[in-house]
Amino acid sequence: MDIELIEIKDFLARHPPFDHLPEEALDPLLGEILIRYLRRGSSIPANDGEADHLYLVRTGAVALFDDKGKLQEKLGEGDYFIPRCEETGDIGLTGRTEEDSLVYMAPCDVLGRLRKAFKEFDAFFSAGTNERLRKALTGINDGVSLASNNLLSIEVGDLIDQRLVSVESGTSVLQAAQRMTECSVSSLLVTRDGDLLGILTDKDLRRRFICQGLSYETPVDAIMTADPIRVRTDTLGFEALLRMTRMGVHHLPVMEGDQLSGVISTTDLIRFQSAHGPYLVREILRAETSAELQNTARRLPQFQVQLVNGGATAEHIGQAVSSITDALTRRLIQLAEAALGPAPVPYAWVAGGSQARREQTSYSDQDNALILSDALRPEQASYFEHLARLVCDGLNACGFYYCPGDAMATNPKWRKPVAEWRRYFHAWIEKPEPMALMLSSIFFDLRVIHGERGLFEGLQQEVLAKSRKNEIFLAFMAANALTHRPPLGFFRTFVLISDGAHDKTFDIKHRGIVPIIDLARVYALASGSPAVNTLERLRDAAEHRVLSDEGAANMIDALAFIATLRMRHQTSQLRQGAPVDNFLPPDDLSPLERNHLKEAFKVIATLQESLSIRYRVGNLG
Amino acid sequence: MWHFWRRLRTLNQRRETLLQAAPEGAMRRYLATPFPDPRCDFRQLAYTALDFETTGLDPARDELLSFGIVDMRDMSIALGTAQHEIITPERAIPAQSAIIHGILDDRAAEGIPFDKALELLLERLAGKVLIAHYARIELGFLGTACKRLFGSEFLIPTVDTLLLGHRWIERRKLYLQQTDLRLHSLRTRFALPRYRAHNALTDALSTAELFLALTAQRRSENYVPLKEFLKRV
Repeated sequence: MDIELIEIKDFLARHPPFDHLPEEALDPLLGEILIRYLRRGSSIPANDGEADHLYLVRTGAVALFDDKGKLQEKLGEGDYFIPRCEETGDIGLTGRTEEDSLVYMAPCDVLGRLRKAFKEFDAFFSAGTNERLRKALTGINDGVSLASNNLLSIEVGDLIDQRLVSVESGTSVLQAAQRMTECSVSSLLVTRDGDLLGILTDKDLRRRFICQGLSYETPVDAIMTADPIRVRTDTLGFEALLRMTRMGVHHLPVMEGDQLSGVISTTDLIRFQSAHGPYLVREILRAETSAELQNTARRLPQFQVQLVNGGATAEHIGQAVSSITDALTRRLIQLAEAALGPAPVPYAWVAGGSQARREQTSYSDQDNALILSDALRPEQASYFEHLARLVCDGLNACGFYYCPGDAMATNPKWRKPVAEWRRYFHAWIEKPEPMALMLSSIFFDLRVIHGERGLFEGLQQEVLAKSRKNEIFLAFMAANALTHRPPLGFFRTFVLISDGAHDKTFDIKHRGIVPIIDLARVYALASGSPAVNTLERLRDAAEHRVLSDEGAANMIDALAFIATLRMRHQTSQLRQGAPVDNFLPPDDLSPLERNHLKEAFKVIATLQESLSIRYRVGNLG
Repeated sequence: MWHFWRRLRTLNQRRETLLQAAPEGAMRRYLATPFPDPRCDFRQLAYTALDFETTGLDPARDELLSFGIVDMRDMSIALGTAQHEIITPERAIPAQSAIIHGILDDRAAEGIPFDKALELLLERLAGKVLIAHYARIELGFLGTACKRLFGSEFLIPTVDTLLLGHRWIERRKLYLQQTDLRLHSLRTRFALPRYRAHNALTDALSTAELFLALTAQRRSENYVPLKEFLKRV
């Protein structure tokens, strides 16, 4: 074997799966490669004996079909497929060349040998979809500049609060809560002789103690999370963040060797990445005029760029941006109340859509509504009209443009007393018409931003109780969730749509993110979960067995990956001062990103398929 | 007259005659291996693609600098059989060709001696069909070398991709320019990848791929004898 074949070697080194091999493995691999030239219309494999090979396209195009002859994807230069192979667990795909093609073939027993010899190569094949996506997620942030304020370069040990707040096992819940309050921390470690037994958070106190109506003398051991996941002081900040996202927790105990070192919280991580976040919020709270608010809001895009530079995931950016929009909304309401006088009856200002889900990015449009007390008298209605006008105009001036569908509190239809809202929801659930479904992404994703929480919460409970039992409504919501389908993958500079058609650009929002949000909403409605955030909905769905653990984990990773790609795309537009959009040119994606996106699409398509079977969507007229 | 008789005899018959006069060693071993039968279907045969880098075009005056060689069987190129050798020249390399091939004197000095190279080649070519682009160069240098070292004529069934390419273009009644027949120009017609030129191994591989592309169309036919592609030698 001669190294003069450097071009072929380079080609292998640049493309999956061989890009997961170390340099020294490539020379021996090269010796096992066969080269074929296949005329247009040739079958791959040509015969059964050649199924157990990996086929890597060097030039040309290959269409892939499943065992039913349905088009699965289309391969171009640098794409590979394996028809049937024990070593990699592939079965059942066949290919047909759509152009004359030059292909490189690697026998499967060689792949098997390489898997045994090289861990990373092995992981590429053995990792389930979710693991590959998770790795990819870490990977896409590699391109981010390693500034000093970067979660990829800072270790958890450098981020944690020096004070370690802990109590001995057996301490009463009352004492533990007092300790937390004294030290103003949101979590507390439970130890016995210095060994970590568990962790207690504000949320545990709420869910496992107050709601259960336990005695103050209950030992903390009964309500703590026992044996929690830990990180080490040298764990990278970004990794800690990913782990929290995966587990759905906000606190992780930190170990230095065997010694307990402290607790890292999402707040620590976000505060670190967004030194300017709390500063923005403070300015918002101090603003006295709408003009001052506009000045502050103008820095929101810059804030988002900083977060992305800091290696934040899309989830945390969504949380951070939404919390600033929340602050803006609240301040606008306070300013309006100061101008108009106190409200005549209690009310709740609710946000819908991405703000409610805490998935907002700068320059989203605004969706909101007002839920008023039933005590409202007709002559008091104009107060809320003025309030809505001031707040919505203010938001628009701050860059959160008027909702094109007029789903805003300024619209009298969406500024109603509780009883009226109850009638709306009743009608939507009992007679789910297409018009109502269009609004579902707004009005089935609501969150109180300001005012009387109770006005909304009672309503929400009724809605969830009703929707959960109504199979016809759920079937319509399921059908709605299937209107946006992910593509099959990419072919050269095109996006390949499921019927074999091409799209020039990839609408990452409607073909990647919206399908997941819509699925998560159906799961939430079917399980009666009050969660609005998509990740929380998916976790709840797994907990309520509406979705398998694996399905939920895959979906969470798929969303994290797609949303982070989108964030990166939009951030580069923000950086260039260009208008922000959701259209990703396929050319901008690396071969590896294309591969991972394809995986993510598969996750979505699979879950859409099972949803359509579950609710027999095809049967709806 | 001699040429006329020579043509009537098959390549294998001529090989037998040469074998009787061949000296012991590499040449004899080469000639003792039967050539592939030209009546065989071309898909079933074993091929070897070969490319030489030389100091010039005249085998009597110029020297062989390196060779690249790769085998093909079942219409698949086996990269594991790829071999590239630098040959120590007997004279200094003229400046202008050194620039072309990127083989400098000191690098060439690290190569294998000429007679060793010829033995290697005879071993690899035995029983195979030769594929070369503008095979006159390879056949000319091999013939001269065999004459000089073994006192024997060199024979091999040969496919010349330049001639096949020429035929391919003529059949399609395409306008032919001289440059159209160069290896890399022909490759672009078949959308084959662009390899770095002027390395004997890359060129041998390029030639083998071009042969696959040129004959791809014939693969749908039931029976195509090798002789349809053979160059007259």
